[in-house]
Amino acid sequence: MIQLKKIYKYYNTGSKKAYVLSDVSLDIAEGEFVSIMGPSGSGKSTLLHILGLLEEANEGEYLFLGENVSKLTEKKRTELHRNQIGFVFQAYHLIDELTVYENIETPLLYKGLNSSERKSRVAELLDKFNIVGRKDLFPSQLSGGQQQLVGIARAIAGNPKVIFADEPTGNLHSDQATEIMELFKKLNEQEKVTIVQVTHSEHNATYGNRVIRLKDGLIQR
Amino acid sequence: MLRNYFKTAWRNIFKHRFYSIVNVVGLFAGITFTLLIGAYVWGELQVNKKLNHAGRQYFLQSEWKGEDIHYSITTLSPIAKRLKEDYPSLVANYYRWDGITSGVTKGDKSFREGIQLGDSTMLSMYGFELLAGNPSTALKEPYTAVITEATAIKYFGQKEALGQTISIQSFSGGKSDFTITGVLKDQPKNSVINLNGNNNNTIFIPTNTYAFFGRTSLEDWSNNSIPSYIELKEGATIAGVEKAIHQLIQTNAPDGIKANLTIRPIALTEYYLQKDNGLVKRMLYTLSLIALFILLMAVVNFINISISNAGSRMREIGVRKVLGGLRIQFIMQFLTESFVLVLVATLFALAAYPLASPVFSGIVGKSIPALSSLPLYFVLVPLVMVLLIALLAGVYPAFVLSANNTVNSLKGKLKTVKENIVLRKSLVGFQFAIALVVLIAAVIVSQQVSLFFSKSLGYNKEFVVASQVPRDWSPAGVKKMQTIRNEFAAMPQVSAVTLSYEIPNGNNGNEPQVYKSGGDSTKTIGMQALVTDENYLSTYQIPLQSGEFFDSRMQDSGKVVINEKAVAALGYKTPAAAIGQQLRIPGDPTIFTVKGVTSNFHFFSMQDAMSPIVFFNVYTAVVHRYLSFKLKPGNTTASIEAIQKKWSQLMPGSSFEYQFMDDTLKNLYANEIQLKKAAFTATVLSLIIVLLGVLGLISLSVHKRVKEISIRKVLGASVPHITLLFIKEFAAIVVLAACVAVPIAWYLMSGWLNNYAYRINLTAQPFLLPIIALGLMTLLLIVLQTLKAALANPMKNLKSE
Ligand SMILES: Nc1ncnc2c1ncn2[C@@H]1O[C@H](COP(=O)(O)OP(=O)(O)O)[C@@H](O)[C@H]1O
Ligand SMILES: [Mg+2]
Repeated sequence: MIQLKKIYKYYNTGSKKAYVLSDVSLDIAEGEFVSIMGPSGSGKSTLLHILGLLEEANEGEYLFLGENVSKLTEKKRTELHRNQIGFVFQAYHLIDELTVYENIETPLLYKGLNSSERKSRVAELLDKFNIVGRKDLFPSQLSGGQQQLVGIARAIAGNPKVIFADEPTGNLHSDQATEIMELFKKLNEQEKVTIVQVTHSEHNATYGNRVIRLKDGLIQR
Repeated sequence: MLRNYFKTAWRNIFKHRFYSIVNVVGLFAGITFTLLIGAYVWGELQVNKKLNHAGRQYFLQSEWKGEDIHYSITTLSPIAKRLKEDYPSLVANYYRWDGITSGVTKGDKSFREGIQLGDSTMLSMYGFELLAGNPSTALKEPYTAVITEATAIKYFGQKEALGQTISIQSFSGGKSDFTITGVLKDQPKNSVINLNGNNNNTIFIPTNTYAFFGRTSLEDWSNNSIPSYIELKEGATIAGVEKAIHQLIQTNAPDGIKANLTIRPIALTEYYLQKDNGLVKRMLYTLSLIALFILLMAVVNFINISISNAGSRMREIGVRKVLGGLRIQFIMQFLTESFVLVLVATLFALAAYPLASPVFSGIVGKSIPALSSLPLYFVLVPLVMVLLIALLAGVYPAFVLSANNTVNSLKGKLKTVKENIVLRKSLVGFQFAIALVVLIAAVIVSQQVSLFFSKSLGYNKEFVVASQVPRDWSPAGVKKMQTIRNEFAAMPQVSAVTLSYEIPNGNNGNEPQVYKSGGDSTKTIGMQALVTDENYLSTYQIPLQSGEFFDSRMQDSGKVVINEKAVAALGYKTPAAAIGQQLRIPGDPTIFTVKGVTSNFHFFSMQDAMSPIVFFNVYTAVVHRYLSFKLKPGNTTASIEAIQKKWSQLMPGSSFEYQFMDDTLKNLYANEIQLKKAAFTATVLSLIIVLLGVLGLISLSVHKRVKEISIRKVLGASVPHITLLFIKEFAAIVVLAACVAVPIAWYLMSGWLNNYAYRINLTAQPFLLPIIALGLMTLLLIVLQTLKAALANPMKNLKSE
């Protein structure tokens, strides 16, 4: 479902181009669970952002679900964010002013679901993630692990085909991390959601079925 | 979706309470002020618009050629009537009135009232409604009167007064009863009943009673002291009417007038705004501009605080983009937020309106329409205002934030940070500059106003009160008044009393043309005549330069006293050289001998240069209006009470309606005082708004740099060092704003001062004081805000990061 062909990404630092990604070519099939690993600054987040259509590559071709997405209009890209792509962040990035319930509901609002559809979908997720009792709390009232659960619930609320997760367990201790990884595994196996995660932990990488190693913007073979 | 916007908007507003309050308070002040000024402007624009056929109602304004000074508001008395009679296809109706002031009595109540001796057409022509009485017969019979609702209540304690009588004094010592044939409903302000500030007319009497008051018939072509109005026929043109007027003047007017007079019909709908060189219009423009700028300043605060605060919102926008939000949706979200804030501020402003309007009407000296009296479509005004301000205040943050790159947003980086700081600083600079201009203007206006009340008047206004007396303009009447005056002068509370026709309030009766006896009678000098007794100089403490003033033995017939201006205008080298010189007035056989010369003093407003003055003796001229009292210093209230008592003994049936000279001057300078008050209000408001803005920005800046402050402290920075960091941010802005504000204020205010023949000199002080004051206030705010951060334990802040 994802095909990267000779992707380059650079920043203009002064007069020189600083390459963050060089000649990255990559295929990810539907239903895969891929882990991206590499040292800090090797371009993992950048790659994930390009995959998730948050940034554009400077060179190369990107086919998402067979469609060239190198130059998309804002509207088309937003369509994909609403329907096909979910994001999970290391810093959770919940909206502080919204309750747990409202955070999960937000993507559904953007998707244009009516109120009863939204209600049932949010209820289903709250139940599934075992956070019904916390639905009226604000993010600041939750622990890190709980916040990340809400982050994942929000990411899958719109039934995306793929979830991009940037160090989802980076801020959590190991018990919480395990819970999150189990959850990803379940989503991948039972609901056939494609998952691409960035991780520093070899252990977490074992939950997936493939590892891509990056160094200085190059894929290591 | 909309509900979601409102919910997040409300929670964000609540979360950033402090900044929200700063925003709302500033907007509230700005919006309240704008609403009040808007209502006031609307009220002023409505003047004369409610009259019947308002579009066809005209006032006849006179333009005189030559040296002679004549009023522009009065004209040849027969002309309006003849226009209707001779040109029925052009003029549908007319109204003329002769304005007089006289004593009115009912039982034990007696007051001086403004009276219109007017045509019977008034009621039907303008559609003035009567509470009681028949409008078609009310102003027909002699010795009848129509009185206003308020006057009925004043004399009868109730509105029902039909068929009752009031007693009105003539100017020759007589008195007559007038039967009330109508009670006039309170009318919206108009130029028929109130032509100008001096004409507050409350009683209307048919013109056929003119002889009782010793006035000239309105059919007499030599009578040119009558305000006149006409109503045009539908389809009639001004050009046609002007031609008709010209013809009437040429066939009927006396020779001296024919060549010199042009009469222009001015639409009543325009007249009020245009009169006195557009005084009202200029005031409306000034006030509207002030309101606009104050509102802009409040909006600027809003923009500034939103931008500064944007960092905290950026992550949210980034997340929402990832979740599939469109840019337009974020723009809507931000606009909703600003909409909610502006709405709250506007609701407060509407609630405050009834409380603030009496205060404000005290400032502008006019009544402000109540919200309920505004037409229904005024509901739209706050609505449009809310939407417009919300758009203005919300659009910049909305676009900047939503345009930011998603990844940068998530990292909390605003790409355009640099431009932002420049924009923000220029906005703050703009506010400072406006506040400074307003502040400087207020200082200069009040300095000029103090000049009006200062020692440079040329006479001493302290402890002087004046009151009008009943009129008996005959030698016997003056003699009687002299006796009464002497009785007052003998009172221990009084140091001097004078009987005169004029007091120094800018209103005098006569402007004679004077020439040297034996000289060229066509080369005359226009002078201002004052009719006084011998005590005028001592009561007003006007210095005598040479010769003598009048004496008390009534032997001054043919003697005049002039001031130094007149001495110079007549060409005498010194005051002493003028003594014994003979003067004449064209058409008058009397030869006047100059008996004395006084110093110059300000009889008129300081807007005009002091003019040549010639004093005539009240015993010869006979006309008189005022007794002026110079009180001895001490208990003024007791002195006034004593005079009051004596007054009712000496002149039963007349009332002691006194005014201190200070208050008389306040009337003379009402517009300047109004401007001064408006300038001070604007100053207070703009200071509040600017300082609120500074408060918000500094607090945000301190909040953002709390970590930097801590690190600097750990590295050894002292508290003053840290405070200085923030002071630097604003010092440059204040200096730049001053550089912009000073020339603008100088230009505006020297233009304004140039309206006055006597004006203060612009020194550095009115410019420096406001700059220093604003600088100090800003400094104080900065120090107070930063001190807390600078004094805090640095480790606490570093840990929390
Ligand atoms: N906006 C940017 N401008 C310049 N360099 C950047 C920018 N964003 C990221 N980089 C650089 O790109 C490199 C890769 O960053 P990133 O993808 O975040 O690495 P990782 O997630 O593997 O730690 C880093 O060296 C970083 O400094
Ligand atoms: Mg990274």
